[in-house]
Order: sequence, then structure tokens, then C-alpha cells
Amino acid sequence: MVDAYFKRAEHIAERILVSGWNEISSCIEPLSSVFVGTNDVIVTVDLPYADSKSVRVKVIGEGAIEVKAQTTRMINLYDLGLKHRSGIFSSYHGIIHIPVPVEERGVTRSFKRGILEIRLPRTV
Amino acid sequence: MEKGNVPKNPILLTGLPDVGLVGVVALSHCVSFLKMDEVASVESDIFPPIVVLHGGIPKSPIRVFSKESITALVAEMAIPAAAINQLANTIVGWASSKNAELLICIGGMAVQNRQDIEQPKVFAALSDKAVSDKLRGAAEIMEEGYIVGPYALILKKCADLNIPAIALLTQSFYNYPDPEAAAAAVTSLNKILDLKVDTSELLSKGEEIRLRAKDTMRRTQAEMAKMNKAQEYEVPPLYM
Repeated sequence: MVDAYFKRAEHIAERILVSGWNEISSCIEPLSSVFVGTNDVIVTVDLPYADSKSVRVKVIGEGAIEVKAQTTRMINLYDLGLKHRSGIFSSYHGIIHIPVPVEERGVTRSFKRGILEIRLPRTV
Repeated sequence: MEKGNVPKNPILLTGLPDVGLVGVVALSHCVSFLKMDEVASVESDIFPPIVVLHGGIPKSPIRVFSKESITALVAEMAIPAAAINQLANTIVGWASSKNAELLICIGGMAVQNRQDIEQPKVFAALSDKAVSDKLRGAAEIMEEGYIVGPYALILKKCADLNIPAIALLTQSFYNYPDPEAAAAAVTSLNKILDLKVDTSELLSKGEEIRLRAKDTMRRTQAEMAKMNKAQEYEVPPLYM
């Protein structure tokens, strides 16, 4: 229980200190949302400019999934008006924490209006 | 702090960071399209120490723009939950001092099935039933429910001071910037105020807007959680 507490605190600290634009890996951390249902967990991820065919979802360890996707175009901070920064981004990468155990098999996903929806069956 | 000419009896529009950042996106677009002039800013010691640079010049993240009788207050930062009361008081107090003709708060209404909605609907909460004439059929009136956040306070304070006010709330994503919902809000605004703001850019540049607004949305999410924003999903126990 103590380990879980410190993991959660670390996760919160990361979210406060990290901007979500990783210039070293050229990755953007996307916005996401988790809804725990009776039979499954529904995760949505906002992926503007993402190539839907490149989306990869993986259950990693206990309590998290990893989402990756390539963008359809290079995203340059300079073009967004931040001329004092040099980031160029070509992909999304996010690790999303899931509060209940889920199965790796039977995961379904859909992509609509630029939002990825992932359904993960809960472990019985 | 005023620095320009604010019209008498203005129609005051507010776009504060909220569900789907609908108000911020909608009003920023209106300010840009109508080429409104910056006339004032909102400052407070309880705001975080933030300025936003535009054209190399430091600006307050909460600014007021004006053109003819239309005045728009737009915030570019998440409003700390602890500052909401003071901000709502300031906005309504300022509207009262200018003898505002009408105050319209623009925001979102989170719906779980937003991905399946092609044309988001616009709803309105009114400070008084008499204000319904001003809607001109642009939105459906919310009869029952909760509103949580700065617009809740603004609407209630306007009701207490007899300032006509409308909270225009468009079906939107809870956690993601929603330019399509913003476009629907602007379409309603066009009907209410006889404006001709073209919304096509909100739709064609939707992905860019979502990306630009990502960080503000993340911070707004954190502040919404502190306000218990999710109570808007709940059913009030009484109906009187």
C-alpha cells in the first residue's frame, strides 16, 4: 500500500513538473481520460494530427497502458509561435494509469473525431 | 485595469477556461475575427505570477476586448479555484458599473457520448425568465440541473443584482479542447447578437487549436477537480 502511495505521488509530481512536450524524444504527451465501468475500463486519448493507422496500445505491467502514435505532419514549436524554443515533434507517447486490473486480451479500440477510445476488459 | 475606451451599456461576453475550453476558444476566435481592441485587463494578487507574451509584449492572461457595443473578457490561463469568487465578483461588479445591457457567459456542458454527436446542441441558463426573449431561439433553456464554477457564481450574482445574464453552454468533451463545440457556441451568439462571425476557421484549424490548447486544458482539468465540477452530472434532489 505504501508503494502504491509513493507511485501515485511520483505520478502526480511528474504531471506537475513535466510540460508534456518532450523535445529530446520528439514526443507529445496527449491528454487522456479514464472511466471505470462494471465490465471494462474505457480510456480516451486526444490525438490531434495523429495517423490513426500508427496507433499502438500496450498493457504494461500492473495498472498502466502505453499509447503511441505517429503524427501526420511534423509539429514545430516555432510554427506555434514559440520562437525561443526549438522543439519538433513527430509522435505521441503517453503512459496512462488504470486504477483496476485489466486483461491484455480482448482490448478493442476505435478512432473518431481525432479521439482514440480504448476498451479494456476488467480482470474477473 | 482599464486602458482603452469601454463602451457604455456594453454587452459583455465572458470566455473563462472550463469544460472543453469552449468559451476561451469561441471568444478568442470572435475577438480575432471582429478585430476587437484590447481595452482592459484583470489583475489580482491571488492569481499566479503569470504573463503571456504576444508580439513580444507581456500581457495579463485575462484581458478585455471591445468593438462598438460588444465587450469580451477572455482568459488564457486556468483560473485557480481559490480565485473564482473574487473573479466572479469583479466581473459582475464591473458589468454593473458599466450598466451592462447583457452579460453572456460562454462555456461547455460535458456529455459522455460527445464523440457520437455531429452537431453539438447549445443550452442556456438564465438569470431571470424575462431574459429568454434575448435568446431568439438560439439555445434551449436549461430548466433543472447544477452549474459549477465561475459561471455559476456570475449567473447567481447577476440574478441578485438584476443584471440580465445568460450562460450559454454547448455539449462538449469534458477533458479535451473542443473547437466544434466552440463553433456551435459562436453560431448561437451570432443569432442572439446579430453578429456575422464566420466559424469555418474553427473547424478547419480544429486540430491545431486542440494542440495549442492542450496545456491550458490540462491545468483547467486540475482546477475543475478542485471545484467538484463533476457535480454538474448529478440530479438535484428537489424541483422547486
